[in-house]
Amino acid sequence: MKVKVLEKTDKTIEIELDGEGHTFCNLLRKYLIDDERVTFAGYRIDHPLIGKTKIYVRTDGTIDPIDALLSATERIKKDAETLLMLFKREVGE
Amino acid sequence: MEIQILERDDRNLSFILKGVDVAFANALRRIILAEVPTMAIDKVLFVENTSVFFDEIIAHRLGLIPLTTDLDSYVLPEECSCGGTGCDQCQVVLSLKVEAKDDIVTVYSRDLVSQDPKIVPVSGDIPIVKLKKGQKLELEAYARLGRGREHAKWQPVSTVAYKYMPQISIDLEKCNKCGNCVENCPRRILRLEDDQLVITNIIECNLCRLCEEVCPSKAIKVSWDERTFIFRLESTGSLPPERIVEEAIKILIRKSEDFENELKKLR
Repeated sequence: MKVKVLEKTDKTIEIELDGEGHTFCNLLRKYLIDDERVTFAGYRIDHPLIGKTKIYVRTDGTIDPIDALLSATERIKKDAETLLMLFKREVGE
Repeated sequence: MEIQILERDDRNLSFILKGVDVAFANALRRIILAEVPTMAIDKVLFVENTSVFFDEIIAHRLGLIPLTTDLDSYVLPEECSCGGTGCDQCQVVLSLKVEAKDDIVTVYSRDLVSQDPKIVPVSGDIPIVKLKKGQKLELEAYARLGRGREHAKWQPVSTVAYKYMPQISIDLEKCNKCGNCVENCPRRILRLEDDQLVITNIIECNLCRLCEEVCPSKAIKVSWDERTFIFRLESTGSLPPERIVEEAIKILIRKSEDFENELKKLR
């Protein structure tokens, strides 16, 4: 996974993610818009055969967009870890 | 978040996943389908092939044979210390030598002799090619770990799908017990018991809403819970279904960790 910043201001950020498609980006988008400080979050895949995704985030200014991305990622990680724990317990390992 | 296993055997698994968003369920489904690695034959070296099939067709057929996978002892070629050229850690050699001496012989997947007893065809009964008297097939096949997004032969599952948890509400005051819904339900989940309409196995409901349509008094309503999913997956046999889900969740954790690290570099 490679991240490149295309544009960055205090409230907005546009990044290019190399090597991730709908799988991770849609999840990230959802977790971002669950954050009430984020006013807009979206992603775009310019070409289906080129695995590069652009993610755009806009916040209301109370949080840096990179921090908003970080907080969303942390929540994804936390949920996945909870799921792993529950799943392991349920299948009895 | 809650999880409840519904059915489980060596090939199939179905469970209820409660309290997550569609995006999360879909990410899990997509990872299971395209990113959990399994073993499959990728390169074939033909020593002799006098069968009626071209080398390429046989190679393709070999590639599609599901192999039991040992994720703990093998790594993906791109992550291997050998750089992906092929070593003991990222490659398994399977050889095959069949000759039809005096009768027609069918070459089956069981004729593949693996270098590693842990990496063998899931079923020995998969036919590869038929040989006429005098024809010969000798080859060496190289299996490696790969991902479903590269080629479907590396998919660990034949199907993985989820649906929303159905919810059926019956307005007992409006219901006139005509039994239309009971007759029309294709999954037979509704029943009239002691002059009362009851739902027997709601998980089976496919949300077709036929019961709603045929109800003369509009007493029945079908809806679904958008945060509860019924997952169903069917392994090809290369990995146990529980392992597939576990690996998928681990991949998701790894993905978020990777992204987190990349983001931290930006600051």
